[in-house]
Amino acid sequence: MKLVDKFTLWFLGITMIIIPINSVITYYSIKREIDRSAVERLKHVNVRVAEQIGKGQPPGEYTAGCRVLFAKTDTAFAADHYVITERDVTQDPLLNDNDRKIIVTSYHNIHDQYYRITSGDYVSRSEQILAGLRISIMWKLIILIALVVLTARVASRVVLTPFYGTIKKLQHFNLKAKKRLVLPETRTKEFKDLNLFVKKMTDKAVDDYSSLKEFSENASHELQTPLAIIRSKLELLSESDIQGDQAILIADMNNAVEKLTRINRSLILLSRLENNEYEATEEVPFDQYTKDALAAFCELIALKELTVKSNIEEPVCLRLHASLADILLNNLLSNAIRHNMPGGTIEVILNREFLMVKNTGKAPDGPIDDMFQRFKKGSQCNNSIGIGLSIVKQICDMNSFEIQYHYTSGLHILIVNFPPETDSSKLLQNDERYLHERIQL
Amino acid sequence: MKVLLIEDNEELASSISEFLGREGYICEVSYNITDAQDKLISFQYDCVLLDIMLPDGNGLQILSFLRTERIQSSVLILSAKNSLDDKIVGLEEGADDYLTKPFHLPELHARLRAIYRRKKLNGSNIIAFNEISLNIDTLEATVNGQLLDMTRKEFDLLLYFVVNKNRVLSRQSIAAHLWGDYTDNFANFDFVYQHVKNIRKKISAANGTDYIGTVYGLGYKFNTSKQ
Repeated sequence: MKLVDKFTLWFLGITMIIIPINSVITYYSIKREIDRSAVERLKHVNVRVAEQIGKGQPPGEYTAGCRVLFAKTDTAFAADHYVITERDVTQDPLLNDNDRKIIVTSYHNIHDQYYRITSGDYVSRSEQILAGLRISIMWKLIILIALVVLTARVASRVVLTPFYGTIKKLQHFNLKAKKRLVLPETRTKEFKDLNLFVKKMTDKAVDDYSSLKEFSENASHELQTPLAIIRSKLELLSESDIQGDQAILIADMNNAVEKLTRINRSLILLSRLENNEYEATEEVPFDQYTKDALAAFCELIALKELTVKSNIEEPVCLRLHASLADILLNNLLSNAIRHNMPGGTIEVILNREFLMVKNTGKAPDGPIDDMFQRFKKGSQCNNSIGIGLSIVKQICDMNSFEIQYHYTSGLHILIVNFPPETDSSKLLQNDERYLHERIQL
Repeated sequence: MKVLLIEDNEELASSISEFLGREGYICEVSYNITDAQDKLISFQYDCVLLDIMLPDGNGLQILSFLRTERIQSSVLILSAKNSLDDKIVGLEEGADDYLTKPFHLPELHARLRAIYRRKKLNGSNIIAFNEISLNIDTLEATVNGQLLDMTRKEFDLLLYFVVNKNRVLSRQSIAAHLWGDYTDNFANFDFVYQHVKNIRKKISAANGTDYIGTVYGLGYKFNTSKQ
């Protein structure tokens, strides 16, 4: 539910509660006011009647439009004593109307004689007031709801603009771009706080990320020279007069240095991929690359007694950096060879939609989702460093390819789906528009 | 062949100059750009081995220095930073080849020899040792004048052996030479063994001497003293 809908409902709910209460209050206050003014007027009439009597002129039955009765009385009351009675006169045959009558009786001392003066008047009945109120409340409600519903969206769009601006910026925020977030200015306190917080958080993330990256890049590069020293010294050592068991030690060291070198190079490659150093500038003939890669591996394939079936459609051109095309194919094929069994098969299918590499092999023993993570590898293979697939994944991610893996009936199946023929930049644009629509109201 | 090594790391520099010395190169070492520039003006070198990151600047400066001073030495860049840009810039600025640290010394030697061949021995594209003769243009190998039926990889490997005569070549170094840097496949060196076996078989079939021998635990060696 949208914020604006919540606010609207909340507001309408409050209105629903307030309007009955308010109308009760209005009803009673109007009624009281009417009664009060009627009583006030009648009191005035009584005083005037009393004055007339005092002057010796007997008042008529009607004074100032009110019916007045007066009689002598023995009862002594204070001069300002009034008795107010009200009654409904529905049953009054003369009036035959739903009116209410207010009667004010007062006592006056005129020439030492007490008089009781009674006057009465008709006022509007409460039901009539209520009926009037009901119509006005109805209209009030209708106008209120209509205006709230109609204007809430517009108002919220105006008021929440900075908020949506921040959200949009956040959605486009990419840590890897290492660009600090620039948020729209706002004068609303809450949004100011939000922007301040978001900015602080993302700036910190950007700083941490770039220092971490810098560290790992520097570490990888700094390792290269010591590795070169170790390797060269080992090579010189193996030229000298070496006994059998010393040779084994050197060979083991050579292996370890080799592995270290390879891990280091792969990590550097990964970080360079993340730095977008390999931007695709032109289309490469991927079918040719696939054939070349298969040819390069043919000796190894023969050695492992594997059968290769390939179905390569021509031409398949992809927007991909040439080095990455090589690395991608090398890693996929060498994986298919390594995780195979003697006498097994490899099937390579390439067309404009996808590249599929199928190979026989033992079922994976870890969870499939971990396969593309660095240094996660099946236990059956000790001589790999477990970074090949993560490089493949990274290459796919950088070029908006989609990679899938499954294992069915003894076959490892890796599929790289290429983006459809449409221009990739166009695709991005669509994506942006979609995003834009979604964050609009 | 006279080589100037510009490398700030003394241990690595000593390894390289020792190795190249054994191969009969005259190898002089500079640890910084200023010293290197002095040496380059005073003496003549066939090849410059150039590290990119040096204490007093970027090694690429040497390339422009060579151009302005009209020095005809070949340049092989040795860099720890195997970024694509450096490589492209280096080659565009006139370097002849680019090798990423950590490299194998026999690989360095093979690259140096290749540069030397390209620059100095204009036209001569035959590398010969006794009865073995390798044509690096046509990628044809002959033994006693008899053409061997070899794959590209086998030819490369034989060339690597002939260039690095009497050197122990580790399986790792051979694998890196044949398959490059980014192959995660070859901790299993069966295929190196297979290739070496094939070469030896083919040379023997052509009545050539089986120069290639196994060095226990370490790898292989092209042994010229074998008869």
